[in-house]
Amino acid sequence: MDFSLFLQNFLNGLSIGSVYAIFALGYTLVFSILGIINFAHGAIFTLGAYFTYALAGGKFGFNGILANAQLPFQLPFVMALLLSSVLSGLVTVLLERLAFKPLRARNADPLLTLVSSLGAALVIVNLIQYLVGAEIYTFPANIYGNLPEAINFGTATKPINIRTVQIIVFGVSVIIVTCLTYLINYTKVGKALQAIAEDTTTASLLGINSERLIMITFFISGFLAGISGTLVSSSVSIAGPYFGISFGLKGLAVIVLGGLGNIPGAIGGGLLIGLAEAFVPSDYSGYKDAISFGLLFIMLLVRPQGLFGKKLIQKV
Amino acid sequence: MTIMNILEIINLSVKYDAIQALKDINLVVNQGEIVTLIGANGAGKTTILKSISRLVKPEQGQIIYQGKDTTRCRPDQVVKLGIAHSPEGRRILAKQTVLNNLELGAYIRSDRLRIKADLEYQFTLFPRLAERRHQIAGTLSGGEQQMLAIARALMSRPQLLLLDEPSLGLAPHIVQEIFAIIRQLHQSGVTILLVEQNARLALENSDRGYVLEAGILKMTQKASDLLNDQRLREAYLG
Repeated sequence: MDFSLFLQNFLNGLSIGSVYAIFALGYTLVFSILGIINFAHGAIFTLGAYFTYALAGGKFGFNGILANAQLPFQLPFVMALLLSSVLSGLVTVLLERLAFKPLRARNADPLLTLVSSLGAALVIVNLIQYLVGAEIYTFPANIYGNLPEAINFGTATKPINIRTVQIIVFGVSVIIVTCLTYLINYTKVGKALQAIAEDTTTASLLGINSERLIMITFFISGFLAGISGTLVSSSVSIAGPYFGISFGLKGLAVIVLGGLGNIPGAIGGGLLIGLAEAFVPSDYSGYKDAISFGLLFIMLLVRPQGLFGKKLIQKV
Repeated sequence: MTIMNILEIINLSVKYDAIQALKDINLVVNQGEIVTLIGANGAGKTTILKSISRLVKPEQGQIIYQGKDTTRCRPDQVVKLGIAHSPEGRRILAKQTVLNNLELGAYIRSDRLRIKADLEYQFTLFPRLAERRHQIAGTLSGGEQQMLAIARALMSRPQLLLLDEPSLGLAPHIVQEIFAIIRQLHQSGVTILLVEQNARLALENSDRGYVLEAGILKMTQKASDLLNDQRLREAYLG
């Protein structure tokens, strides 16, 4: 493989990997606070993409009860992206109230919560299909402004063409990861979240209202799912109501690869899977998922605690 | 001068599933006192503290703190009212630094400058913690962890401090050090409700004591009288 192709694959891998990372961080946050996986995370990803499509003035197709519907206003794409992510966060908070909190109040088995989040995912996905049908929606080409389709980082003779949207996606993801890292490590809310993650009882003895912080966690998690849904669909397209489900499974591979509940792990795992997929030759692109889950399989065999996870040491 | 009670527990009963942990407990703590709860393992001492900080739900009864019924409060609301609980097993945040633990102790406060001043005060009270402020709390020795648990509880500026087994598992000279600090806190006006295995040491440092047996309050007296009680000497003071 010559160097320019290598670089091209590498940059594409970083771009998609960075979205895997912020998406997976949504799982990680909820997991580290409650010790459960929110299976509706992928559905929120889908929802975020549809919200943005609608808010940016997109028109819905022929199927579904909202056929030919369109919002009476049209937001600039960046505004639509932010608002849609906020809406995704709010939906996730609602979901927490309906699917998680009642079980938590009864000290239910985590497995039950898992099932109820899976149920919530199905409801969201089917609701989308009911409302707007199952066809593919594509954002207009100029959503990020009148930028060139691709930027050449090489020379005229040895081009290294990276699609502009990939660069934007990477940039946005880096900003999100930076903000989140700051929030977790340097703010009062972040420190309270770490306290809850370590010991809920202690946190409550410190005067931390854990229910309020659980709500904040779900909001951030939903925000991350929504924004990743929009980023991915701005790079490819919204491939129907189910398109977040497979992405959701890949997100699971990322968090297990990086170490459950581990923030640097989610980032590292995301980038690793993104890069691994980017180097799959285009003739074999159907095997991309096999790469992610193959990596996951190997990881579980040789290092079950994940790349960045610490071995559990039992104190006697 | 009338003695004001800061805490009053009225007919408190607590059940863990089918097991009756506390039955009709009536207890008063006055402003500025150190009160000790004595009793065998499983007598319900810790459960009384946990009921006050709302970690357990009472089956019946009332807890009145400074004239306010706190029986229906959430644990975090109780902290905001001025009660701090240094719990059984210390429950420090083992993965975080000493400094972070202490700062989280002041979570309910927003007076930054005073928090900073209080932090420095804890470090003069517990010089060992000052040396280790950037150390991960899980790597501290048992005595240091106990000091951290007490210092963290003090960071919320409590009027009532609940201390659960501050001497458990510690070397005798560290126990002395911790009790010296408890006396110092008492002098500075903090009201303390203490649960302690080492009944003699606890009573020597207390104003009054309550004796618990299998979830029932057996007697309450001035600490000095309890120390001289024949029956109690045989049972708990060794």
